[in-house]
Amino acid sequence: MERLSELWRRLMFLFRRESFQRELQEEMKFHLEMKARALRHAGVPPAEAAPAAQRQFGNTLQLRENSRAAWGWNAVETVGQDVRYGLRQLRRSPGFTLLAVLTLALGIGANTAVFTLVDTVMLKSLPVTDPQQLYSLGADDNCCEMTGLQGNFTIYSYALYKELQEHTPQFTQLAAFQAGAMPLAVRRSRGAEAAQPYRGEFVSGNYFQMFGINAYTGRLLAPADDRAGAPPIVVMSYRAWQQHYGGDPTVIGSTFVINSKVFTLAGITPPGFFGDRLTGDPPDFWLPLGSEPLLSGPGSILRLPGEFWLYITGRIKPGTSLAALQAQLTVELQQWLRTVPKLEEHDRPQISQQRIILAPGGSGVTELRDQYASGLRLLTVLGGLVLLIACANLANLLLAKGSASRVQMAARIALGASRARLIRQMLTESMLLALLGGAAGIAVAFLATRMILLVAFRGVRYVPISPTPSLPVLAFAFALSLLTGVLFGIAPAWFSSRSQPAEALHGATRSTRDRSALPQKSLVVLQAALSLVLLAGAGLLTRSLLNLQTQRFGFQTRGRYIVRLDPSLAGYTEDRLPGLYRQLRTQLAQIPGVLSVSYAGYSPMRGDNWSSEISVEGQPRVDYTKVVAPSWLRVSPHYFETIGTRLLRGRVINDQDTPTSTPVAVINETFARKFFPKQDPIGKHFGIGESNHSRDYEIVGMVEDTKYQDARGPAYAMFFLPFLQLIPREDESSQNAIDGSNYLQDVELLVAGHPPNLEFQVRHALAEIDPNLTVLSMNSFDEQVARNFNQDRLLARLTGLFGFLALVLASIGLYGVTAYNVARRTNEIGIRMALGADRKNVLRMVLRSALAQVALGLVLGVPIALAGGHALSSQLFGVKGYDPEVLAAAVAILAVCAGVAGLLPARRAASIDPMQALRAE
Amino acid sequence: MARTEIPPGTLYLLIMKTLESGPRHGYGIAERIQQLSDEVLRVEEGSLYPALQRMLIKGWIFGEWRQSENNRRARYYRLTPAGRKQLGLEVSEFQKVMAAIARVIQTA
Repeated sequence: MERLSELWRRLMFLFRRESFQRELQEEMKFHLEMKARALRHAGVPPAEAAPAAQRQFGNTLQLRENSRAAWGWNAVETVGQDVRYGLRQLRRSPGFTLLAVLTLALGIGANTAVFTLVDTVMLKSLPVTDPQQLYSLGADDNCCEMTGLQGNFTIYSYALYKELQEHTPQFTQLAAFQAGAMPLAVRRSRGAEAAQPYRGEFVSGNYFQMFGINAYTGRLLAPADDRAGAPPIVVMSYRAWQQHYGGDPTVIGSTFVINSKVFTLAGITPPGFFGDRLTGDPPDFWLPLGSEPLLSGPGSILRLPGEFWLYITGRIKPGTSLAALQAQLTVELQQWLRTVPKLEEHDRPQISQQRIILAPGGSGVTELRDQYASGLRLLTVLGGLVLLIACANLANLLLAKGSASRVQMAARIALGASRARLIRQMLTESMLLALLGGAAGIAVAFLATRMILLVAFRGVRYVPISPTPSLPVLAFAFALSLLTGVLFGIAPAWFSSRSQPAEALHGATRSTRDRSALPQKSLVVLQAALSLVLLAGAGLLTRSLLNLQTQRFGFQTRGRYIVRLDPSLAGYTEDRLPGLYRQLRTQLAQIPGVLSVSYAGYSPMRGDNWSSEISVEGQPRVDYTKVVAPSWLRVSPHYFETIGTRLLRGRVINDQDTPTSTPVAVINETFARKFFPKQDPIGKHFGIGESNHSRDYEIVGMVEDTKYQDARGPAYAMFFLPFLQLIPREDESSQNAIDGSNYLQDVELLVAGHPPNLEFQVRHALAEIDPNLTVLSMNSFDEQVARNFNQDRLLARLTGLFGFLALVLASIGLYGVTAYNVARRTNEIGIRMALGADRKNVLRMVLRSALAQVALGLVLGVPIALAGGHALSSQLFGVKGYDPEVLAAAVAILAVCAGVAGLLPARRAASIDPMQALRAE
Repeated sequence: MARTEIPPGTLYLLIMKTLESGPRHGYGIAERIQQLSDEVLRVEEGSLYPALQRMLIKGWIFGEWRQSENNRRARYYRLTPAGRKQLGLEVSEFQKVMAAIARVIQTA
């Protein structure tokens, strides 16, 4: 109770501070007068009484301060004083303040931008309920549709999912969802508009329940919607609803035509929910698994137990042992595998090695995270380096400023200021600068994040990463600002507070030794070293990017365009495909400027890849645990000419390959090397599947190696089949796969010049064939390839930018230090010139000092740059981490800039008039 | 002349005792202590006023401005009820300690 009233009194003091001072002063005066009067009464002469009283009283000022200190607000008040003083100082030198705040804004902003990305991509959980209770079955991200044993299972079939769901009650909810996303052609039932391309995902009925997501309006999926025969419904994302339907409430409950089938829209997901993974272009529609047969028609894989195409995530009951659950799941998996009749005999022994591993599922499928993890790590290091350089610059500036106000500092020490208080005051000033820089840096971070997202996600329509700073980001910026303030402020504060009063007040400006010269010089050395590292890194990454872009791919991009179509979305059944393909070729060839038309299952550098195990006639079974299954592709006549792949032997696929002619195949060099070493492959036979298929295809030609998916590794072994030549298969699953491959997905056009309105003409031609044929996308081949290097391009550009920043900062730093030293040594230079030194000597003297610092920096920087290059080597393509040309170039650039930065003040020094210099103080 | 140090911890006690008989201003408190102790104890102003501030914070004394004997404005301090209670506590504590020390000295 007493404590409370004491606290209250202390608080009230804050409002009475001014009157407190006045009253205390009056009280002291009264006391003094009483004392003086007492002395006079004791016989002291009046003139002496007052001073004597004062002497006895003691230090009035000290006493007042002690009395005031008793109220306990001393610490806060002094901080307030420091802040106000610091702000005044900053206002007094606006040029310096502006430069400092700008430098800090860039440094802190860059790091905050990187943190925004790190936070969203690496740290954040999905916007769902209690993400820490979610676990996924399987840790890798195999995608998107496969058969056969996986070892560590990550992708499952519907039958397997149901089995696990029924027998594992430890999950309160177990949901399955499509591993890959699929394009949909959607339009409203009412109205004549053509179908537009969207993205969709099949999910189990309890998907939203498992995530704990409630509908924004309408209702979301329920387990009942998964039953066979349930009316087909669909759920739309909030974003799609707002962007494409204007938030129109009448869409809910209305019917939509999706891929020519009718669905009812049941509801909208809440804003902010983007699905089960952080990826570009998240789904616009979610459909129940039960509707997959309806949508896929004969190609349906829901009922095929051996088709693995679903990821599984579940919510675990609290307190469940993960290890036990994992073991149980593995047992269930193995038991189920034994009952699957379609499993190949030779795979059966491996059943006991199949496992399910549980991984935390709260952050969603890790696709994006894995892709960008190493890039983000690199960015973090880069940002840190730039910030260090900025801090070094600021520290140098402050040291110079501190040296200039040495006299003032000495006077304050002489008057009784404690070193600690002085240091605290100067640190406060630094932190104020840093906080101002940090505030500006948040704006920089916002812009930088937007720019980074634009470059990193080129070609994506929407990324669920927001550049707006969230609370953790703001907190990070604040903490970083404080840290930065201390980092660059501590050294100058320390040095300034160590001024010796006597020495400084005597006007020691004539000395040739300056205590702060050493730290200044070491900072310049540090900056030079770090700049070299950044420049070298930028050079390596830029070279790597150039190598990637200009390598021999095995195709030509000039004048080529790729159009993405999906006839199945427009309702084309297999029997109608031959007619469609004929029409495509004739209609598109008529567009003025089009030299050649072809189509294929996918095009190079699209990101797609089909692979299957094959058997070669006359050869033993291939051991696919040691050899990678070859990739393959269905192509039309004129395909290889259109995309510019060279024929090496035999012939390409052409019009003589009809559904009724001999099934043929064209292979590439790597395929020939792997399966027909030292033989002529022409005329040999092979087939997809087991040895009973080994005579299926006759090889009629060999083309050069082409990179289709991985730009960094060697080309895959690959074979090409014509469309519409179908080999009957024994089991439904592989029959499906083969049938499905008959549908084209990419159309390639070779075009002369730059015909105007090409895209419009293509869409028009396609619409003439069938108004439902939706163009999913159309890009130049160059653009399609370029999008594969988004991350590399981003890194190269960012390191280049950072390197440039570092160079500018280091040059400014060197210039500043050299100019300052020249100014300080003006006297000395005057003496030297008076004693006979000529301009050249002076120039050499100043330049030598400046370049010595840079040289030392280079010596330090080279090993660090080499180490950095070694660390980068996994990112590099066609460039070694220690590439001497890049290093030499970086050294040269740095040396030139340093030379210029040092030359300017050196020239000024050389043109000093000795008489004026000697007179100067 | 050397001033005898006020034993640590007893300054509050002395100040409050002088205020027991009525309100005084700062100078008056110092004078009174000097007088009552036969000039042995002299309070330094440097310790007096900070101590007065602390006692104000703790609520043991209360200060108000009044006219002094010679018609000058001065701040007079007086004991609050909480202060009286504290005074009693400190006096008995002090006496206990002094008696104990006296016993030790006598036996030695």
